Amino acid sequence: MLKKNTRKISPMAKAAVSHYIEASEQLNKESAQEEVVACRTRAQALLLTQAFPTLRDEAWQYTKLVQFVQNRFEVAHLTPQQHGLTIREVQSFLPPYQAIKLIFVDGVLDKALSDDCTALPKGLSIEFTREAVQSSSEVEVWLEQEDLVNSEPFGVLNNALLAEGFGLKVAENMAIETPVFVLNIQTKLNQISVLSNRVMVGKNAELTLVEHFVTLLNEAEQEGVEACTNVVTVMDIAESARVRQVVLQQQSDLGYYFHNQFIFQSEQSDFNSFYGGLGSQLSRHQNHLFMNGERIENSQNSACLAHQKQLVDSRTNTQHTQEWGASRQLHKFVLADSAVGVFDGMIGVARAAQKTDGQMDNKNLLLSNTAKMNSKPQLEIYADDVKCSHGCATGQINQDQIFYLQARGISKPKATEMITKAFLMESVETIDRKDIQQWVAQEFSEALLSGAYFKTDTATE
Amino acid sequence: MLLTIENLQAEIDEKQILKGLNLDIKPGEIHAIMGPNGAGKSTLASVLAGKDAYEVTAGSVMFDGQDLLELGPEERARKGLFLAFQYPVEIPGVSNKLFMQTAVNAVREEQGLLALDMFDFDEYAKDKIELLEMRPDLLERSVNVGFSGGEKKRNDIFQMALLQPKLCILDETDSGLDIDALRLVANGINALRSESRSFIVVTHYQRLLDYIKPDFVHVLYDGKIIKSGGFELVHELEEHGYDEIIQQSK
Ligand SMILES: Nc1ncnc2c1ncn2[C@@H]1O[C@H](COP(=O)(O)OP(=O)(O)OP(=O)(O)O)[C@@H](O)[C@H]1O
Ligand SMILES: [Mg+2]
Repeated sequence: MLKKNTRKISPMAKAAVSHYIEASEQLNKESAQEEVVACRTRAQALLLTQAFPTLRDEAWQYTKLVQFVQNRFEVAHLTPQQHGLTIREVQSFLPPYQAIKLIFVDGVLDKALSDDCTALPKGLSIEFTREAVQSSSEVEVWLEQEDLVNSEPFGVLNNALLAEGFGLKVAENMAIETPVFVLNIQTKLNQISVLSNRVMVGKNAELTLVEHFVTLLNEAEQEGVEACTNVVTVMDIAESARVRQVVLQQQSDLGYYFHNQFIFQSEQSDFNSFYGGLGSQLSRHQNHLFMNGERIENSQNSACLAHQKQLVDSRTNTQHTQEWGASRQLHKFVLADSAVGVFDGMIGVARAAQKTDGQMDNKNLLLSNTAKMNSKPQLEIYADDVKCSHGCATGQINQDQIFYLQARGISKPKATEMITKAFLMESVETIDRKDIQQWVAQEFSEALLSGAYFKTDTATE
Repeated sequence: MLLTIENLQAEIDEKQILKGLNLDIKPGEIHAIMGPNGAGKSTLASVLAGKDAYEVTAGSVMFDGQDLLELGPEERARKGLFLAFQYPVEIPGVSNKLFMQTAVNAVREEQGLLALDMFDFDEYAKDKIELLEMRPDLLERSVNVGFSGGEKKRNDIFQMALLQPKLCILDETDSGLDIDALRLVANGINALRSESRSFIVVTHYQRLLDYIKPDFVHVLYDGKIIKSGGFELVHELEEHGYDEIIQQSK
């Protein structure tokens, strides 16, 4: 703490901090329960002393916030505006499979666009953050992990602006077949969507959660919308419960995206997650996973596709604390133009976590000489009877493969698209529900086929 | 003339490999090319297919009335040039079937034909699968991944049967094939023979040539064709090796 008090904060960062503190203060003037106000206020204090990470912070050395700090994003849920979106306009963002749909526009729940939450499958209940902070006795759920959330700079910002998002609860022994699908649409310039989500899955229960982050471009803004999304998800997976999570981030290329997930698993539970990162100028998706029980299984996979000057950051911190845990990870990045990829993965194995089986792979494909990948897989092992491995490989596309396809009449851009897609699909195929897997695969295909990732000027020789 | 190669010279990494090669091929002809290791046989095949690591420094190649060297590799393939590789490449994650459907449709587009959908393609591929006795699972799997050496070669001939090219260049397709696979591949080649389709068969062995009976046999050495003849040249080579011919050419 002392050290943090002495950090130098640039005038630019100071201005940004006071902007968000002011927004937080204004939120505090609206009706909210005392504990919530206190939580926000503590976050304000942290913001004031820490501000935002700089290049001197090791965890942020490749993920530069200079640009972010220059913005003063308006907190969308402070003054919710009429957006006038109809279900037709959002249709293209909805999945082709059946789902319980929750739709947020600029970080504000839209009840009219969302499915009716009074007619949910048995065993599933949904409470919204806005109602919880105002009056519900469930508010405790949002505050439980306050310190942990505050351990991340964008967790602090999330707590300071705590007011929107959802809470999902699945009762014991209930398997919810239909996926819950959460959409956040950025529609306005210079806004920040702040979502504080909580998920609780009871003993031996089952849930599939899909989150989709997108931008709706209007004609004047074809270049993209410079807007920000800040999400915190705290997830509690009880004994023998199974959770499948798919997050697809496709915001416009000017967007920002910060998502911190804190996941607690109890014994014999299973967490299968996938992150697809395609959008935003700067995005960071981060899992903090605590395996607090025996015989826990999980898989955390990602596929990131970036071009131009995009920065995609995907990171995991997986803590094995007890025996017989198995964690699997496959993270794949495809980088074109001057895109930068960052992968940071830590597997921690406590002394008590014997028989741990941890595996983490990061594979990257660079489509240009100016793209850059920074990969840092790490193991920290204190038990002696474990099987842990990590691997990392970065390479260019294999020209012999391209030539083989060309020699069969396939154009170079198409050949590159086929090989690139195949590379990403290894990770997408870890999604163990066919309908969702196909939807994600389709989104990647469309992005690749839009042609933006491959130079066509080399089509012949 | 389907193919006319005149004084072809090519280099890779500034090392000259082809040193003035001449070859004429009429529609319907089968030409065998033999020659010691490192002579430049695969280089010739790659240069004809358009691999850009090779630089053509002199000479010309006319293919079916157009300047072949002006075309990119995919255009050459679409206009009917096919190379069965000495070492077919593995492409993880790309299904053999999707690959071939895409390739067939690229060629059809060039010919002004409608694309085949998945069902049309299955129908179209059926008799070619039978001809080469392809195991059905090889179509569903990733291109050449986990295929045995012989299966890879057979897969290339299967592709050739699908694409119906005008000129087929086979680079040591017979190497590594067992006796039955050799017969299948030879049958595949013979089934494709026609008045208008020509072949260049690069090989080290007589056994494939016994099946397909080439019209001409050429010896390639040090980047040039140093001797041409009929099928009898194969026997001569089997008996005496390359030494005599190489000495004579000097
Ligand atoms: N990148 C390279 N740089 C320099 N020399 C090369 C390169 N690639 C190939 N060569 C040389 O070119 C020559 C011709 O090779 P090529 O593969 O065409 O021979 P080949 O006749 O097909 O032989 P084989 O019968 O063994 O298949 C060889 O001496 C080879 O070493
Ligand atoms: Mg060779």
